[in-house]
Amino acid sequence: MDDIELIDKVRNGDDDAFRLLVERHSRAIYRSAWRITGNGADADDVVQETFLRAYRALGTFDSRATFTTWLHRIAINCSLDLIDSRKRREGRIDHGEDLGTVASRDASPDRIVLGAEMQKAIAQAMAELTGNERTAFVLRHFEGMPLEEIGQILGTRLNATKNTVFRAVKKLRQQLQPFTGSLV
Amino acid sequence: MSTHLSQEDFILNYYRELDSREHLDACAGCREELDRLARVLDRVTPVEVPEPAGDYEARVWDRLSWRLRGEKRREQRGAWMKWAAVAAVVVLAFIAGFIAKNRNGVNEPQQIIAANPGTTATATSATAVAPATNRTQPNNTTQQQRDRILLVVVSDHFDRSERMLIELTNIAPAGGDTDFTNKRERAEELLASNRLYRRTALDRGEENVATLLDQLEPVLMQLAHAPSQVSAEELQSMQKRIEAKGLVFKLRVVQADVRATSQPRRTPQPTI
Repeated sequence: MDDIELIDKVRNGDDDAFRLLVERHSRAIYRSAWRITGNGADADDVVQETFLRAYRALGTFDSRATFTTWLHRIAINCSLDLIDSRKRREGRIDHGEDLGTVASRDASPDRIVLGAEMQKAIAQAMAELTGNERTAFVLRHFEGMPLEEIGQILGTRLNATKNTVFRAVKKLRQQLQPFTGSLV
Repeated sequence: MSTHLSQEDFILNYYRELDSREHLDACAGCREELDRLARVLDRVTPVEVPEPAGDYEARVWDRLSWRLRGEKRREQRGAWMKWAAVAAVVVLAFIAGFIAKNRNGVNEPQQIIAANPGTTATATSATAVAPATNRTQPNNTTQQQRDRILLVVVSDHFDRSERMLIELTNIAPAGGDTDFTNKRERAEELLASNRLYRRTALDRGEENVATLLDQLEPVLMQLAHAPSQVSAEELQSMQKRIEAKGLVFKLRVVQADVRATSQPRRTPQPTI
């Protein structure tokens, strides 16, 4: 049964159909949320909030759109909300340690030290970005999403989206300067 | 040769959102700059996301289904409260209409008298021929009726609020948490009515009643927004707040007053 058929069932009060949707998409949402928030606990909260918001807003879902894209949009907004609220609470975000602990799988033995340090620096640099900058960069750089689509998710015009990505790249370049100095 | 590419253009070229191949083929400097950018960005590899446990989906659903149940309960309660509020407004509107009609009815003869002072003797209404001292009686009666109806309606609200506050102050704080689900629901209902009655009391100039409703509101609001499980410390804080305001005592006093005032006064029958 495809997503649209399940959504119709949920709209008719079938909660089991919603369970199937949750089971089908929760892992992908978790990954997406993890990349933006940078840790598992926050990603878990985003998954919960995303499905809760999706459940409330199912009535407004346009069946011509893809449910996966719609759900990811909600997840990204939830991630940004979470980052904003945490920023307000703590003054700044600091989850570089979580991101830094994950080393790249293809690091060769002779570069493992540099690789681990580099990963840590990337994580730190990502943590220094604003919520919008990190989201725009993750979607463009890691997910390969076109700028126009990113703008739709962030609710910004194309020029503003471009500027957000430019700022993110500029900051990352500055932060990674000590590691890439020899390469640049 | 065309103008060199900007830093933004390099980024757009890297992400293939802009194609400046023609310029890059001809300009070694820009080609070099783009390579430099690519060497940095190519190093920014996606951080590997730790794969969640095998039963992840089931755990997500367990947590979520619990929240969805709460959501549905709130929705149902919200719908119920909305209808209750609508019903209360309809009842109050009916009462107001009834009073207004009565007042208009009894005012008619007075208006006739005021407009035609010389025709008093010919007026057929008993009110119209009544002595001047009695002419104001219908107004007073209407005011009394209006106050009495409001007090009767509010009396039940005070009674229910008092019962809930007494129950709350009588809970002995044990070591663990106290289940507050039921009290929270009752407080939500009382809060909705309280707001409505407070506004009505203010409109009708019932200052004592409005003041007490005003003092009751923040307490009801705190109870309505309490978590489903209340810790011993939170419970004690609520009990202290209720006691500090002397709310139970005030409710009893005002209620006794309300009962006395809301009893219809018997008109002494003339002895034959």
